Amino acid sequence: MKSLKISITGVRGIVGDTLTPELIINFSQAFGTYLDSGRVLVCRDTRPSGTMIRSAVLAGLIATGCEVIDLGVCPTPSMQLMIKKLGARGGISISAGHNPQEWNALKFVRDDGVYLNSLQGEELLDIFHQGEFTKAPWNGLHSVVENGHAIDNHIEVLKRNFNAEAISSRQLSIALDCCNGACSYLTPRLLEELGCRVVAINNNPQEQFPHDPNPTPRNMNQVAALVRASNAEIGFAHDADGERLGIVTKNGDPLSEEMTLAISTQIQLERMVGAVVTNLSTTRSIDDIAEAYGAPVVRTPIGQPYISEAVIEHGAVIGGEGSGGVTLPKIQFSHDSAAAMLNILEYLATSGETISQLASRIPAYSMVKRNLQLPPNIIFASLQRMRAYAEKRLKRTTVDFTDGIKISWKDRWVHVRASNTESMIRIIAEAKDQAKAHELVDWAQYHLRKAL
Amino acid sequence: MKSIRTLKISISGVRGVIGDSLTPLLLNRFAQSFGTYVNSGLIVIGRDTRTSGEMVKHAVFAGLMSAGCRIVDLDICPVPTVQLMVRKLNAQGGIALTASHNPQEWNALKFIGSDGCFLNSYEAEELLDIYHQGEYTRVGSNAINEVQRNATAVRTHIDEILKHLGKLPGSRKRLRVVVDCCNGAGSVIAPALLEELGCEVTAINATPNGLFPRPPEPLPQNLAQLCQAVRESRADVGFAQDVDADRLAIVSNQGEAIGEEYSLVLATKYILSKKRGPVVANLSTTMALDDIARQFHCPIIRTKIGEVNVTEGMKKAGAVIGGEGNGGVIYPAINFARDSQVGMALVLHYLAESGRSLSALMRSVPRYYMVKSSLPCSSHKAQAILRMVKQAYSKDQIDLTDGIKIIRKDGWIHIRSSNTEPIVRVTVEARREALSKELAAEVMDRIGAV
Repeated sequence: MKSLKISITGVRGIVGDTLTPELIINFSQAFGTYLDSGRVLVCRDTRPSGTMIRSAVLAGLIATGCEVIDLGVCPTPSMQLMIKKLGARGGISISAGHNPQEWNALKFVRDDGVYLNSLQGEELLDIFHQGEFTKAPWNGLHSVVENGHAIDNHIEVLKRNFNAEAISSRQLSIALDCCNGACSYLTPRLLEELGCRVVAINNNPQEQFPHDPNPTPRNMNQVAALVRASNAEIGFAHDADGERLGIVTKNGDPLSEEMTLAISTQIQLERMVGAVVTNLSTTRSIDDIAEAYGAPVVRTPIGQPYISEAVIEHGAVIGGEGSGGVTLPKIQFSHDSAAAMLNILEYLATSGETISQLASRIPAYSMVKRNLQLPPNIIFASLQRMRAYAEKRLKRTTVDFTDGIKISWKDRWVHVRASNTESMIRIIAEAKDQAKAHELVDWAQYHLRKAL
Repeated sequence: MKSIRTLKISISGVRGVIGDSLTPLLLNRFAQSFGTYVNSGLIVIGRDTRTSGEMVKHAVFAGLMSAGCRIVDLDICPVPTVQLMVRKLNAQGGIALTASHNPQEWNALKFIGSDGCFLNSYEAEELLDIYHQGEYTRVGSNAINEVQRNATAVRTHIDEILKHLGKLPGSRKRLRVVVDCCNGAGSVIAPALLEELGCEVTAINATPNGLFPRPPEPLPQNLAQLCQAVRESRADVGFAQDVDADRLAIVSNQGEAIGEEYSLVLATKYILSKKRGPVVANLSTTMALDDIARQFHCPIIRTKIGEVNVTEGMKKAGAVIGGEGNGGVIYPAINFARDSQVGMALVLHYLAESGRSLSALMRSVPRYYMVKSSLPCSSHKAQAILRMVKQAYSKDQIDLTDGIKIIRKDGWIHIRSSNTEPIVRVTVEARREALSKELAAEVMDRIGAV
């Protein structure tokens, strides 16, 4: 199966295969054309292919007359914070986020620091397909400016917006796994500056990814062992570009990635009650927590831009996704794993609670996720049949067609949809226990397969 | 139609106009083709000062990295520095990003082989085949190498010149030199080299910003500012470089541009006085060079136009010096490339060792009068012109190596299609100015009739 995927989350593919320099140059020219030239920020994560992609991006942007500011290797949220500060019209983050090392991607950011939404993404694609890009003449080209302040700025913003004093006074001991990604430059320094005792692993950006960068429990064995070995108060795991966060308790238990948003929501609502934004596939615990505080929950389709826009629209106090991405609007309208981390540390420092105590207060559900690898030409048809079935047969349940098909009963739900990043259908089910959740996934898979 | 007219893909590289035909995509594909052609390995990259240089550089980087090459980036430096470094670093090849004498809206890729010389016509054709075939080597993420920046290339180049030629011999007074770098790549090396040779240096247009203060070709009519500076500072000599610092023109101590043909003539006279051996030059280079070679009883070999043709001729003949009349001096003991830095050093040594003024040196070499003209025309028409000329001058001695050269005792006429533009070039030279004008008028009349 071919690896290229052009979607709401950007242009994603495998280097040496589908993600060619030509494709990158053309997309960068399309983006420069879309922005009507002007100032554009560029950053990248630590993937070895980043240096090649960067050159292709710079060539494309310069050719369209953009004034490029290169932030070098830094987390995507560090770049997003710089967009407003530097008055840029947009930005390109070169990172395949949680995907394995051989992947890379372009993610397009607009002038408010938020990713392009689906309509804007479509406009960009139209320009790309049309292939007629702005061509700046020789005296309309701008030299690239290197700017090494993105991480300094990020640290400064975070320290200013959280209770640095409270965190410092506790001298918390923290285990950290940066996956040798862009956060290697950010979080160890940030935590040390806040007086934490940091034990970091995989914080060498020159090295390969030691494991899959997605911060789910199966990729957090190393940091879990580190928490136990170092008697740390808590452990954190980053993806490659600082959007998703995974948590390990004081006992060395990796928490489900769904818990990152649930815990963050609990903390946030305790402080201030307001709307919570999350996507359709995220745990029902969010609804339970919100209900306890009388806060409304807004559910969006899958994809960070939907979360960002809904957070802005509803003036939400928090937004995020079950994948471990948390948006704290007081910092920015995008996922920021360092901000999510400080939000938790600030709570631990001021409340005196442990992370295990905090986690135990979250209503427990069991979630099962399964991916159905299918050729792209089958995906739509099988989702269509399932949809027809749901419309006709499932009278006593709630069916939501906002993004794929989400079928909810009183105490359980199942969600099937086409992935934005790979050629497959994702099936996610949640119920009170593991067996029921498995049952739901099997049931959905049966109907999807039957459709074939 | 516009973009077709500005793009020129030929033996001399890939040349086009920025914001028009020379797109990042085209540059990137050529870089991928070159990376595929050299089978990955180490590649040296340097560029002139054009404002488009950075865009071109990144398009090339992305292409080479994608093909698995390791890149050494010299950034702004003369083309001959790139050529020298390819050999010094045992690289697989190099790409110089420069449109040499073209105006500032142009840029180009010039491909260099592992011997530090430009690809010859056969090699260039192989490269083009790969480009057109469109199947390039693409390596996976882990085989992509970070670009290595080399900031010592200029130092290496200067050291190489000093090692072979040494500082100027000490005398009561240092030679006073004015150099005009045209805000090109020479800005980063020429003033420093001249200082280290022991000159008193005034540098003009030596800001490497790519904004050309004059047309970049070092022709006499473009050197008024330099001539004036030489007169005002009572300098012993003035040097003018083009933007990629391969070509050299000289202004005498009297503030007269002596013509770019005489750069090679003076350098050759100096070298042959030290060491005799074959001289190689292209067909359009002044016959003064034949006189000098004869004076030292050395053979002279004429080649087709194009640096690579001259360097190949030099290798075959074991030449001690060679070059092109357009100001390109090739001194193989230092660099198998047209190198204005080497040219300056040779002429300065000549001045210092002879103890004579530049005007005096010029009086001791034969003077000829050259008329260079060109005529825009299609390749079809160019063929018709060449056929006609061949017939019209059938009684004369004719050389068909590159176009047609009609050789007479007191002068010659050379007619050929350009490698870089859709034009026919006509070059005429004779001992007397009147005769060269007369010959030029006659041949242009005949061509006009076709």
